[in-house]
Amino acid sequence: MIALTRRELLRLSGVSIASGLVLAACGKQAGVIDDNAITILGKSPVTTPLADAEVTDAVLLRTAASLEYNAIETYATALESKLLTGDLKKVAEMAKRFSEDHQQHADAVNALAVKLGAKEYLCGNSRINDAYLAPALKIITDSDNSNSAMDIVALAHAVENLAAQTYQGVVELLSDPMLRADAMRIGQQEARHAALLAQVLNPGLDHVGPTSDEKTGKPNIAAVPSAFGSLANIQLTVGKPKPDGSRTILLLETPSLNSLVYDFVACQA
Amino acid sequence: MLSATDIKHLGLTQTLELTTRDLYKFVVGRKSLSDDESQMLAQFHSHHVAYEQTINGLLGKNAVSERDEAMYVGFLQKLSESPNVWTALLQIENSLITTHTKSIESIESAKVAAVIASMITIEARHAAILATMTSTNLSLALDNKESVLVVS
Repeated sequence: MIALTRRELLRLSGVSIASGLVLAACGKQAGVIDDNAITILGKSPVTTPLADAEVTDAVLLRTAASLEYNAIETYATALESKLLTGDLKKVAEMAKRFSEDHQQHADAVNALAVKLGAKEYLCGNSRINDAYLAPALKIITDSDNSNSAMDIVALAHAVENLAAQTYQGVVELLSDPMLRADAMRIGQQEARHAALLAQVLNPGLDHVGPTSDEKTGKPNIAAVPSAFGSLANIQLTVGKPKPDGSRTILLLETPSLNSLVYDFVACQA
Repeated sequence: MLSATDIKHLGLTQTLELTTRDLYKFVVGRKSLSDDESQMLAQFHSHHVAYEQTINGLLGKNAVSERDEAMYVGFLQKLSESPNVWTALLQIENSLITTHTKSIESIESAKVAAVIASMITIEARHAAILATMTSTNLSLALDNKESVLVVS
């Protein structure tokens, strides 16, 4: 602890006030017109102001619609890959039904956005696709990956969790209580999709609740992983095993400020 | 501080969760269930206990302490017949989802609505799994045609 005498304290406060006065004198003063007396070297670049990015109810609904299209595209890829055959034939049937559900959800949230005066959004969220889905698909469809079929189911499961979490998460952000309820009418069905896919990935009633891997201690996929819907990031394990037996882990997060579909965002051709 | 409207809707939600808690308690104790079935239903029961207690915390002195007897007796009758257990539990979960979602339409606090939403997400998962206990029909697991529950 530093011990200061009364005299030193008075001196220090005097110095502080004097420094403040000097800084104030150097700063821009109200009412003083800039006469361009200070020389500027070179040409300053023209700046383009950023568009207003307000997070409105319509933006949240358009973002939800974009995720629905991400899900539709994921199921289309899964079905086109012809990986869902043999034991996974029933998953192909699930994929068809879930994809239809997502189209209905997309239409519903877009209709709500249009009601609010916004434009409908008819394509996937490019940020979510570039950050999570495309890299995951690249790993899953790698020719060295012998787990491709189950990995594509794991990706669908992660996308369903992402959608369920998004709807649950926007409840707190939407300003209109009616829209909050509409979000949950859709979100609850995404949760059902996720639960059914979890049972494909980790079947049996003893795996409905949370369990962990005996070797790694990491949580296994569960249909009902917790008492309350989680908003934490979603872990997706895919790809061929590495020499130590581990596999690539991707972490998916619900849309944030940099992935919301603002009014000025348009579908990329 | 909760508004009068939010207190009313949370009170209804707590009553329903108290009733569901007791209905699950009745089912979990049945000897006709396998160990895995019993364990799974015990987990679902614990979730409804958590919901009731969470709402109890939100409501404080306005908390409800009693289940809805008419709803309890009505479902207890269905649950007492072995083949109906899964169908009745599915009906309970789907009814809760419909009723809680309807409550969100009127709840004023976004934070309270978010708590109810986090319950709905898991109750939907319960419903999907319960549906698979009786049928492979996807519609049974995915579609919810149950009406809003009315507390007597």
